[in-house]
Amino acid sequence: MKSTPKKIILRSSDKEIFEVVEAVAMESQTIKNLIEDVSSDDVIPLDNVTARILAKVLEYCKKHVDAAAANENKNTTDDELNAWDADFVKVDQNTLVDLIMAANFLNIKSLLDLTCKTVADMIRGKTPEEIRQTFNIKNDYTPEEEEEVRRENQWAFE
Amino acid sequence: MESGSVESLDQLPPALLATIMTKLDISSICSLAVTARTFNSCASHILSFLPNFHILDISPSTELIRPLLPRNPFLQSLKLDCGQLNDSSIELLLRPSLQELCLHNCADFSGKLLSEIGSRCKDIRSLFLGSVAEKRGRAIHISDLEELLGGCTQLEALSLMFDISLFLRHNFARVWTLASEKLTSLEIGYISSVTVTELLSPNVGPHQCPNQIRPSILPGIQKLLLSVDYITDTMVGTISKGLVLLTHLELRDAPLIEPRITFDLTNSGLQQINQHGKLKHLSLIRSQEFHITYFKRVNDLGILLMADKCANMESICLGGFCRVTDSGFKTILHSCSRLYKLKVSHGSQLTDLVFHDIAATSLSLTHVSLRWCNLLTNHAIRSLVCNMGLKVLDLRDCRNIGDEALRAIGSLCKLKMLLLDGTDISDVGIAYLQHGIIGSLVSLSVRGCKKLTDKCISALFDGSSKLQLEELDLSNLPNLSDNGVLTLARSRVPISELRMRQCPLIGDTSVMALASMQVDDDRGHGSSLRLLDLYNCGGITQLSFRWLKKPYFPRLRWLGVTGSVNRDIVDALARNRPFLHVACRGEELGTDPWNDLDGSDMHDYEELDELEQWLQEREGESDDEEMEDAEDDAFVVME
Repeated sequence: MKSTPKKIILRSSDKEIFEVVEAVAMESQTIKNLIEDVSSDDVIPLDNVTARILAKVLEYCKKHVDAAAANENKNTTDDELNAWDADFVKVDQNTLVDLIMAANFLNIKSLLDLTCKTVADMIRGKTPEEIRQTFNIKNDYTPEEEEEVRRENQWAFE
Repeated sequence: MESGSVESLDQLPPALLATIMTKLDISSICSLAVTARTFNSCASHILSFLPNFHILDISPSTELIRPLLPRNPFLQSLKLDCGQLNDSSIELLLRPSLQELCLHNCADFSGKLLSEIGSRCKDIRSLFLGSVAEKRGRAIHISDLEELLGGCTQLEALSLMFDISLFLRHNFARVWTLASEKLTSLEIGYISSVTVTELLSPNVGPHQCPNQIRPSILPGIQKLLLSVDYITDTMVGTISKGLVLLTHLELRDAPLIEPRITFDLTNSGLQQINQHGKLKHLSLIRSQEFHITYFKRVNDLGILLMADKCANMESICLGGFCRVTDSGFKTILHSCSRLYKLKVSHGSQLTDLVFHDIAATSLSLTHVSLRWCNLLTNHAIRSLVCNMGLKVLDLRDCRNIGDEALRAIGSLCKLKMLLLDGTDISDVGIAYLQHGIIGSLVSLSVRGCKKLTDKCISALFDGSSKLQLEELDLSNLPNLSDNGVLTLARSRVPISELRMRQCPLIGDTSVMALASMQVDDDRGHGSSLRLLDLYNCGGITQLSFRWLKKPYFPRLRWLGVTGSVNRDIVDALARNRPFLHVACRGEELGTDPWNDLDGSDMHDYEELDELEQWLQEREGESDDEEMEDAEDDAFVVME
């Protein structure tokens, strides 16, 4: 039994190296499966995640691992963690979308839920024009198509 | 999947888009579908596994919802305003996967709705049905209820919000034995107290064999909410004795005549409450709907006897107990250390002394409603605000509450809802709210506070930082003018409900100001208002209607205007905005009349004349002729 926790080495798509304790890395099901398969001290390449995003993701994982540990000692509350999560997702839209992709690829369910819920909250209650503006969505309908789809869904946004 | 190449939302892979969209309500999904092709195809796709389908702010037609409700084995929760639906929609709506079903305004359905739920939705846990078969020519039979209760074996919560006394006459006890053992919550829109008493009574009849054990009726009930004709001692006693697990009891009556002693609640009835010691929430309300009447046979003694057994009570609502004095009310405050909600209406003998030493108790009240308590003065409020955790404070129609009370209220930093209708406040008092609680208030009503002027609007909304106010009632203010509304519009406060009924100085300028209000940079112009009530406002002319049409007020669902002045124009508006509820006869508007806002009854649905309420549900559908026929029907029903 090692006295220090095992460290896992991750490499982002832009070749930056991240060293984290095993528990934090295992928040990602993808990494967990890779570790169990490879079972060596090799670097784990994550070609679908940039360093900038990977840093954020690992920050999230570390916070949640620490919170779970503290919870066993009844030191932190769910409220504190939720507040931290709410702050964590106060990022620009592109980062939010990148986080969704990363959470999906790395298979971190709680992060995926959190980021998707954040986007859903930004959509809820808005008219189509407002949604397009918020997310820079390109309107790819022809004028006839748009008129029809607007008419069908008119009840939702008047 | 390449990193860094996904720049915007529409470039996410469909599976992730679906994950996001399933967290949305159906109207947001449809709104999103209009933005781009990707979302449209994603929306169509997810309709077959969407777990929740809720449309409550409009009455969709069958044509509208049919494409939105394809075969979906994952549909668990369906909530719908069925104002435009009938029996022919049953097959579309009722699915075996449903666990939660909430159908409002089912007047055009027959009792078949109940029997079909019993056969098609066997897994249902929670069922709410509003106004079933209330339209002329529709009927419910006892067999429909039998099939409902017998078929839904997993039912835990049942709300039948209509008059079940119309078909529940004979053998009714037998019907309820069919109910699921898991039923813990039962709410009934109207039932006679005699029926309730006989239903829960252990004695079947004079010929019962003494050894015969009758299965207990509704043994698992913890929560019982009933509207009856008369709350009687017998009924209260039978309920308290028969339901051993009862934690939550809400009874409301609306006597047609002055109750006789055998048909009334007296001190001995109150004494029988909470026989099994589990009661946490109690509400006894006598409504003035048909007759001005009170619980005249209950006095302090009754309250004392009741409070003796109610040390664990968490919420108490007493409406119409005009003979109870400070002694009685004080006993409640001092006996129930866990009390967080206290509601008293028509407490004609309730004075400041009740709250005089409230600071000495360990109470942390969060919801306080003292309505029509005319002896209350500002002193009481000063004492009351030691409960710093107050979230809801309702002091409507307490004529002697004034500005000094507001000075005290200004310190309640957790206050979300403040109702001051008919009190004696002025602009000075309102100014006390400016630098404190206005930042946390969600709902504010100053209806009928005749001293208020435009100054109170500036006091509240000039230069305030981030406001959370969503509901504002400025009705019956003779000095409120367009300038006040201009200030409101400029302040960017994100209100969704604004009522300015019967304000003689409000006119077209206000409508224009509200139409061009921009709340935040995320949303366009056109304001966040979902409800706007301008009934009988002096300065509204045809010009306003131009500003009420699309694209202004994009979120408006409820509009109150004076229809008699511009009938054609109102009709044209209703055609331009087919999903807008327009009320022309002065009916109160409601976004969620069934959401009782923590029981604070802000819009007083129970005070509405039953006929008006019935008419309100039909607003915008019938022409005048049908309306007259319907009025005749309502009188027949009420008999």
